[in-house]
Amino acid sequence: MGCLVQKRDLMQFSHIPKTVALLSSLVLLVAVPWIASDYFVMMCIRVMYFGMLTLSLCFLAGELGVVSLMQASFFGISGYFIAILQTRYQIPFPIPPLVGIGVAVSFAALTGLLVIRARGIYFLMLTLVLGQLVWALASQWASVTRGDSGITDIFAPVIFGISTEKSKSAFYLFELFFFCGVIYFLAALKRSPFGLMLRGVRDSEGRMAMLGYPVSLLRYLAFIFAAFVASIGGVFFAYFTGLINPHSVSLTTNVETLLAGILGGIQTLFGAILGTAILKILDLVLSGITQRYLLIMGILFLITIMFAPKGAAGALKRLWDSVASRTLGSGGPVRGASDDPFYEDTK
Amino acid sequence: MKRKNWVVAITVVFFFIGAAAGHAMAVDEIRIGTIGPTTGWATIFGQGCLNGIKLALDEYNNEFNGVPIKVFSEDTKADVEVMRTKLDTLKTRDNVHLIIGPSLGHEGMAAVDWGARNPEVPMLIGYSAPEDITMRKATDSVIRPGWTGAQVIFNFGQYCAKDLGYKKIIIVGQDYSYPWDQAAGFIRGFLENGGEKVERIWHPVEAVDFSSIMAKLMNMSKEYDAVLNNSGGAQVVGFFKQWKQFGLDKVYPQILGQANVPIVSMLSELGDSALGVYSSLHYYDGNPSEANRKFRESFKKKYGHYPDVIAVQGYDAVHVAFKAMKAINGQVDDPKKFITALRQVKMSVDESPRGPFYFDKYANPVQNIYIKKVVKKDGRLMNEAVKTYEEVSQFGPYADMADKYMAAPATTRDYPPGDKISYFKEIEKYFGKGYVEKLKKNNGWVD
Repeated sequence: MGCLVQKRDLMQFSHIPKTVALLSSLVLLVAVPWIASDYFVMMCIRVMYFGMLTLSLCFLAGELGVVSLMQASFFGISGYFIAILQTRYQIPFPIPPLVGIGVAVSFAALTGLLVIRARGIYFLMLTLVLGQLVWALASQWASVTRGDSGITDIFAPVIFGISTEKSKSAFYLFELFFFCGVIYFLAALKRSPFGLMLRGVRDSEGRMAMLGYPVSLLRYLAFIFAAFVASIGGVFFAYFTGLINPHSVSLTTNVETLLAGILGGIQTLFGAILGTAILKILDLVLSGITQRYLLIMGILFLITIMFAPKGAAGALKRLWDSVASRTLGSGGPVRGASDDPFYEDTK
Repeated sequence: MKRKNWVVAITVVFFFIGAAAGHAMAVDEIRIGTIGPTTGWATIFGQGCLNGIKLALDEYNNEFNGVPIKVFSEDTKADVEVMRTKLDTLKTRDNVHLIIGPSLGHEGMAAVDWGARNPEVPMLIGYSAPEDITMRKATDSVIRPGWTGAQVIFNFGQYCAKDLGYKKIIIVGQDYSYPWDQAAGFIRGFLENGGEKVERIWHPVEAVDFSSIMAKLMNMSKEYDAVLNNSGGAQVVGFFKQWKQFGLDKVYPQILGQANVPIVSMLSELGDSALGVYSSLHYYDGNPSEANRKFRESFKKKYGHYPDVIAVQGYDAVHVAFKAMKAINGQVDDPKKFITALRQVKMSVDESPRGPFYFDKYANPVQNIYIKKVVKKDGRLMNEAVKTYEEVSQFGPYADMADKYMAAPATTRDYPPGDKISYFKEIEKYFGKGYVEKLKKNNGWVD
């Protein structure tokens, strides 16, 4: 009997229209500052800016089939420009982040010319070199970047009369707005003709070229879009931490982003966010409990790669599939349906 | 359609985790947060400081007037973004009354920035040495019972010029801000006391092959009197080894070292090649004082090896905190009172292994600086003081013109200039003609 009731509930739950599900999760996200502790809000803020960085990496991995080790450069460049313009030249709010994003995107346009012809391991190596170049510049050009000490005293802006520096909740909402915007932007991009062309290039470049598509241009544009997303993350990073130093553009940051992607599922947007959330929150919670937390994280990675090569998002999808097909019977989801949040053509 | 629900479900789960975390605890305990790198390449700094903290707390039985003390230890992985997050964690989740914190240079700069935004949490800086923590960026709640990079080396420059009689010196060091600061402090002391020229050679932080530098040093040996090694860790070991291999020990006197070169943990790795190395610091392990003897022996008993100056920093921080708590009867929940008391602490020679110290108005110690030399005693290498400069502040000889010192440009890899003529032009610009004339009249600083 109880089993039956449960089944009925689940069936009803599963029939909630898509928009309602989306809206309720959005409401829940907006409500975070009122229902959760300051500590939790801080964790969410952190997951969001690193999430944008991971999103940019996963977008490239999913749509272009390449792994970049320089996304943190774009992230850091926008942060550095905010820091320099704000602390050295006292330029008021909307300009430093706009300039920062602009410079990061221009830098992507420049480096894109170099890396876009490379594939696979060569792409990885080229981006690694360029990423390290930015890092070397950040740590050695001390008269501008203040070297390893980094630039401090960056303050978050006042928006609609509310200081996002003083109120973490306000900062959270400010960031959430852009975070949702970024996800919408990437999701729309993936479904657009542009996204479909990209997928074609990824799967069969020769055929797309033969059909007359500007293959290189498509790849080049995708690279710039990814940099754009990373640079928005950098804005919030700089504003929230209030400082920037070469570590933010270092190889460590790049590799951690890659690990977050692998943990969550590198070819999907949802995996990028999930992976970042798991990595950053687990890191914080475990390190408070034991000094050997890195060991636990390492084992977790091992398990992920051995048993869930598509990451946590892939594992969740498998779990949901099996639960749904058991409880919902014929009402269960169809593999690869268009309304499946985990469904992103990953070949 | 159905799978969108997963997104909702996961979000809900995270909310419960979030609601469970972050609850305040009872007020009848004193909560101390410690922060520093306890994993990764910089473990020696974070863990060393933490060991000192734990040792000192053991001396007090982990309680103050019967109130238990709870320690929350957080790791920074030497990453300032992680550190900022952990500082927020200590403040909002653990509600700590005091943070004993970071050990690395860039961490210190980030910590003081955080401190300025969170003035209600008193913070005692650990081993971090950038001078701006307690100079240009100084803030009320951040107190440093430690040292600045330049503070400990001003007098070493003076000693090399006056007592050792060197005229021209080459500095070889890692290319980042801490060695730059060390070089800057040394140059000031050296050139203002009769030195003529300091040449700086920078190598990548992780360099292990110094053969090209050794060849260069060989060529320069005709003109220059001595070489100062300005690196840390593995780079020092490599440098000392290749120094012998290239036979440079025959053309130069013993290598001089920056503050961190002959510390206890390095001595066991360098072995006899470190014999006779001169350096300077605010602590030396051969200090015969009772406080130092007690500290070293109890440390050895607890951890199985002798402590470094890094552990002294954590150890002293706890004693400073206890002295302040005594002065305010344990009212640590009143941060304003606590901070004022912390800044007024004066440590006597019996209380700190390093000797007496008190805080200047920027909350950096005014303390003894020891010129030390590595000697062998009872079959063990240790540092002995050959000269002591008493009550040296972070401004060194510029204590009475602190504002002018702070107005001068920040140090970089090649500022201040290393040759006498352009250096004196610079100080005339920032310290005035009178200062230069006084220097010339007294033939350097007056002890």
